[in-house]
Amino acid sequence: MWTLKFTALCCILVLTHNISGQQPVTISVFNESTALPFDRLINTPMHPGVQVGTEFNWKESKHFRLYPSISVGYMFHRKLFQGLYANLELGFDYKASFGLNLKSKIGLGYLHTFSTQQEFQFDNGEYRSSGDTGNSRIMPSFTTGLGYRLNPTKNNASEIFVLYQSWLEYPYSPGFIPLMAHTNLHLGLKFYPFEKNEQ
Amino acid sequence: MIKKVFQLLVVCLLGACTEKDEVFEASFYECTSGITSNNLQHPLANRIDSLAETFINKGIPGIMISVRNKAGQYTASRGKSDLASNVDLQACNITRAGSTVKTFTAVTLLMLQEDGLLDLDDPISEYLSKKVFHGIENAENSTIRQLLNHSSGIHNYIQDTKFQTASLNDLIKEWQPEELLEYSRGRNAYFAIGTDVRYSNTNYILLGLIIEEVTGLPFYEVFEEMLFRPMHLNFTSFAATDPVPNGIIRGYVDLYSNLNLINATYYSGWDYFSADGGLISNTSDLSLFMAKLFQGELLSTESLSEMKSWIAPNEPNKDGFETFYGLGIFQIMTDYGPAYLHSGDAIGYFASMVYFPKQDIAISWASNGNYGKLDAIIQSKETMERIFEAILKTKSGYKEQ
Repeated sequence: MWTLKFTALCCILVLTHNISGQQPVTISVFNESTALPFDRLINTPMHPGVQVGTEFNWKESKHFRLYPSISVGYMFHRKLFQGLYANLELGFDYKASFGLNLKSKIGLGYLHTFSTQQEFQFDNGEYRSSGDTGNSRIMPSFTTGLGYRLNPTKNNASEIFVLYQSWLEYPYSPGFIPLMAHTNLHLGLKFYPFEKNEQ
Repeated sequence: MIKKVFQLLVVCLLGACTEKDEVFEASFYECTSGITSNNLQHPLANRIDSLAETFINKGIPGIMISVRNKAGQYTASRGKSDLASNVDLQACNITRAGSTVKTFTAVTLLMLQEDGLLDLDDPISEYLSKKVFHGIENAENSTIRQLLNHSSGIHNYIQDTKFQTASLNDLIKEWQPEELLEYSRGRNAYFAIGTDVRYSNTNYILLGLIIEEVTGLPFYEVFEEMLFRPMHLNFTSFAATDPVPNGIIRGYVDLYSNLNLINATYYSGWDYFSADGGLISNTSDLSLFMAKLFQGELLSTESLSEMKSWIAPNEPNKDGFETFYGLGIFQIMTDYGPAYLHSGDAIGYFASMVYFPKQDIAISWASNGNYGKLDAIIQSKETMERIFEAILKTKSGYKEQ
């Protein structure tokens, strides 16, 4: 649990520090599912999640942008798990002149999952209802998507985006199911809430 | 400040989104009629009681074990039928028996053949429309017999990773046969028809549909009419009629292999409406079924002989018993001679039923927990050997009890 807290607090500190600069805030809601990558775009039932993060500038030209990003999020998969995560990604955007962005990211994150149901732990020959300390996971991810800059001529324009994120949950069930495949379909917004203050 | 707000947020969020198990009075699990034939003076009673205890000590939440031989029937039960309610499991409780239903499916088809309604050597395309099996490689030219003994080579939908992730994605979905068959469409067959044997649930979905085609009734109603009622299997039913009947023991899964269990009783199954699983029963009924079947009370001599036409897989099972495939039944070679067996998993449940012809004894055991570490405890080869030894070994060696 301390690992999650530490990672999440680091993310929040980085986030708050950079918001005072000219970093954007990204916020998205998403539908999580256990699914193989690129099998289906939309899976049902919906398992909701929310993510907030920011992006950093690294290299940028007229049509290309390479940038690290950091995010924290929560997801709720009914009857299976709920999870809190912190994720570090490296993004690559192709920017078309009319405002469309073709987006891709690779990432590595830390996920802490908790059961959505009461748990019973075997201890001293019997099962007892137990507090849930959760399970530590890593979540490598690959994301593709589309964004649209609301003002195509401006570098720091707000952007609405749709992202299809494929990620693995590892370890999953050692000796039984080594890893689990998930997808998250994000709908989000990138904006610059503190830009005017800085200018 | 940020830390405190974060901690509070996490605790509230996680707490609010965690379901507590429903707590029932013990009366909820009381059986309406006990097992009247339970012979408490059975000579194997002490051994079976001790055996059941060992499973509980290792982490199985609840277990029932039955034997049926010339000394009568005895069932031991240990552990809990419901962990949240802390209710002891009783011998007469009902549980899920999963794929053991395949033996019932096979017996039903053999009976229908005896009635002249079908021939096991007919291709399934004589009974099912092309729409049902299109895209399932090998299906059109496989016979009913080849589906029954798993020599069709047809892909097993349950081993499809798309299906596995989809079923986890919606754990309370009630799957229909046609939805399950979709996961075998467009998939390569394992081998050419009749050249090998490999277990496939898809075979038994198709067989259930054939039963419906020739009888005009849902296959589970045919089970009820031809097997459950005439055999007085009073604790046996099929999930389609009532998926979670009152009094069924709670089932648990060790999803993360750490003996940390969650309740899976309401996780649906993919087998509520298909003839590859979905049986609800108990070990008393399962051992009765096996004894009657192999003592020749259900099928004609010819049909029983057909059922026991064994086929060896090209590649022997390296980890388990030497295994041969019959019609809806397996023959395994044990230290105590050959045994006829079928086992079954459902999410949160496991059951197995075995008949030893030389000893004329039927053994069945069932647990309300599976997956993760529980699987090794309840269904490994070592576990089975321990069960067989505890029940069958005599001072003079391996003689009949």
